[in-house]
Amino acid sequence: MAKKTGAEALGRFYTGGKVRSRREWRGFKDTMYDYSRWLVIMGTLGKFIIKPRNIKAMFRYRWMANYLAVPMMVDRHTQGLRGEYLRMCHVEQDLIIDDVAKLLDNLFRGDRRIGNDKEFSKKVVLVDENEMTAVMMGFPTLKTLSRETPSTYVPVLLNQHAVEYYLDKIEEFGLAPDVCPMPAAEAGVSVDDDAPILGACAIQCNTTCDGSLLSNGVISKRLEEDGIPVFQIGAPLRHREDDVQEYAAQEIRNAIAFIEEHTGAKWDWKEYFECARRVNVATRSRMEWLDMNRTEYPQVFGSNLALYTETNYMAICGRIPAFEKADRKLCKLAEQAYAKKNMMAREYRHRAIVWGVQSHYYFDFLLWILNCWGIVPLTDMLSMVSTKIIAEEDTPENREQAYYDMAWLTENMIMRNRTHGGYKVLLDELWEFVDQFNADMVILWEHTSCKALDGMHGMFEDRAREKGVHLVWVEHDLFDPRIVSRQGVRDQINSYMRTVFNEEPLDPSLEILDDANSW
Amino acid sequence: MNKVTKALLIGTGAAAGFFGVTFTVYFFNLDMKLTALMEPIFLNHYDKIKKDSHL
Repeated sequence: MAKKTGAEALGRFYTGGKVRSRREWRGFKDTMYDYSRWLVIMGTLGKFIIKPRNIKAMFRYRWMANYLAVPMMVDRHTQGLRGEYLRMCHVEQDLIIDDVAKLLDNLFRGDRRIGNDKEFSKKVVLVDENEMTAVMMGFPTLKTLSRETPSTYVPVLLNQHAVEYYLDKIEEFGLAPDVCPMPAAEAGVSVDDDAPILGACAIQCNTTCDGSLLSNGVISKRLEEDGIPVFQIGAPLRHREDDVQEYAAQEIRNAIAFIEEHTGAKWDWKEYFECARRVNVATRSRMEWLDMNRTEYPQVFGSNLALYTETNYMAICGRIPAFEKADRKLCKLAEQAYAKKNMMAREYRHRAIVWGVQSHYYFDFLLWILNCWGIVPLTDMLSMVSTKIIAEEDTPENREQAYYDMAWLTENMIMRNRTHGGYKVLLDELWEFVDQFNADMVILWEHTSCKALDGMHGMFEDRAREKGVHLVWVEHDLFDPRIVSRQGVRDQINSYMRTVFNEEPLDPSLEILDDANSW
Repeated sequence: MNKVTKALLIGTGAAAGFFGVTFTVYFFNLDMKLTALMEPIFLNHYDKIKKDSHL
């Protein structure tokens, strides 16, 4: 038990079962802080489950069982953290938990099987989980809800085994098992009749890949059977090319017209530009954190950067004021820690850029490489999204520009902005970031079911050799730990660190963990 | 003992009791140990739900 960062062997809490033996002692002040935030989380969960319709949903939807593990998810992302880093993590995680609880509550309110509030349902626009919600920035009277976020995306963060049932289910219907498990699981939920039914209409997007298009097709068929019309945004894949932007903007105009037609709501420019201003606050904050991460004293990195950016950039997209407040709090904490030259771990041995599509069932890997080996994950591919400042003043010219800005954000959705758009965005810019961040290694996730990235394997290796940068491949299967387990992921790093760097771990108790059965 | 002192003592005792119980639950991860026991019960229940599964 210790106050000092890195003084406690974190691996000893693992029991081989679903949960850990106990929570960490972080010294009096930090333990009391963590305890107080745990109370707040329990309050949020209690407030959610006290509603009869949410209890009914808990007994109807299989994926709801994963929400039993919410406090453990927070524990995973706060492992070893002290001081400002612990507070940053709680600012983010507690807000995300609150936001997801509200999303679930709204879904069940409108769900024909649960709350069946028909008037509410008429104000709901369903959006794809893997989609920028930019087209909803000007509709303050509508509810933007995603069914895939709480049924597949969040559950895998909570419980590594969360979607195995749905993967098996969709494969029973003939889907090949080498399809990316994210769209496969989303399709599985839909096919298994396990998605809430509500909404005036739905918006989907050709977001990431052919797998996403496949699941969108399966899901939209079911939605239309339920009388919910679907619009598909076809965002250009070559998103850096000037000549695709007019087409992309027109897709946004069409999507807005579709929403207006099916909900009766009218686009509100005042609200749009207010959301745009918040998007810019988030962008400037992220740029400030990335600037700090280029120095000797990085402050907002690892899970604290990756998970929050995914949520704030894509799912929130300026629509929720609480995230602006969180951005400002995070900047303040980061600046405080930077001024004191604080470090998240007791020793920083390597500076790494983490690239590729990261394992969702092992999101806290970023913290693990820091705590176990002293590797600082300075930034990751999914956090390197658009840094463009969009128009935020309501003028006639900016109203036209806004369509291009929304199109730009949609084209530059998380992951998509790197996995599509040519090798410049995926390959060339990685090495530019290596130089900018003064990194000595690249950890390259190899998502075994991702056809978009697997084809570039050799080109990454060639460039790493040319530049003399250590490149460590880490295989995983995104949502399915049965293909590559968490220990399988760790073993790939362990082998490289021991055989190539000839190093011993900072915390040897973390090198091999018995967490195959863990949530 | 006047009423104010008594109320203060009861309040302090209740707060200390609340802290003692909740901190024990927090520190020894008893909340997660309990929910881990609940999960298989829920999963058995979900297996029995009749659903309209189709492509």
